[in-house]
Amino acid sequence: MAQMGKGAWYYILSRQLIENAFPLLNPTNYQVTSPASPDYNCIAWAARVADLWWWPDNQYIYHWPPGAPREETINAFIEAYSLSGYIICDNPDCEKGFEKIAIFVNTHGKPTHAARQLPSGHWTSKLGEQEDIEHAKLDDIAGQYYGTAAVIMKRPNQAFQ
Amino acid sequence: MRYAGASVQKRLNYPLPIPFEWYDTTVGTEGRTVMQAYEKLLEDFFRPISRELVPAVRFKRLKERWEAETVFLSSVSEIAMHPAYQQIIGMGTVAVPLILREIAAKPGQWFWALKSITGENPVTPEYRGNVKEMTKVWLKWGKERGIIY
Repeated sequence: MAQMGKGAWYYILSRQLIENAFPLLNPTNYQVTSPASPDYNCIAWAARVADLWWWPDNQYIYHWPPGAPREETINAFIEAYSLSGYIICDNPDCEKGFEKIAIFVNTHGKPTHAARQLPSGHWTSKLGEQEDIEHAKLDDIAGQYYGTAAVIMKRPNQAFQ
Repeated sequence: MRYAGASVQKRLNYPLPIPFEWYDTTVGTEGRTVMQAYEKLLEDFFRPISRELVPAVRFKRLKERWEAETVFLSSVSEIAMHPAYQQIIGMGTVAVPLILREIAAKPGQWFWALKSITGENPVTPEYRGNVKEMTKVWLKWGKERGIIY
């Protein structure tokens, strides 16, 4: 273990933390795709933003798209993503020419997480301040932290900016 | 996976109520999860954070608990409403230099606490959500007031 170095040891610990928190994830259905970062969260990452933390907090500390209601409701999140060109669709299947996002809610219907679909059909999720991961299915990260995927939205493919 | 009972006792610095070897019989991630929950229970019983009088130590223990239990959350309200985070806010102004030193070393979601304790928010609207810039602004705020150097 000592010969593996600190980086490798942190990588192993990090994966254990992730797999403990999300029991449906296992080494065959996900991979870590970025280092941990407090600079952005899953809501921003789903909108392809990697330098802002998006959240409609009532303290007006964090970023929220101007024009979207500053409320922790599913409708406010739908509105926020609509401002980026997303419209609601009825399935998470990969569709040529479109990119999709999924908004997760907890058992109280409150938004908790968002994931973005990759061209391969897999999904990318930012886990709080921790790493981004690529996971095969939406349900792989469902559970106590994020609840379940409630709304799928899509827009025509955009070049990454 | 074996769980070293002797190192647990050493780290917690009090005698464990069950023999070392019982710890060493846990296997797998489920075993580790159960033992971590048990260890936390023991720590809360024998070394409650509420009895911790040294602010820096109290802050460190609360911070570690808060980080461990909110590590995967994106919801700022859930992060800030965590009981340990609220207890840090409850520490009042004594926590401000501790938080500022913490964000200087490792930027994180401390802005709600700083705003709540100080009643101020030096971050201008164009920097909302920009953790790097918000960190710089708060550190500058702290240095101007002699809270940190």
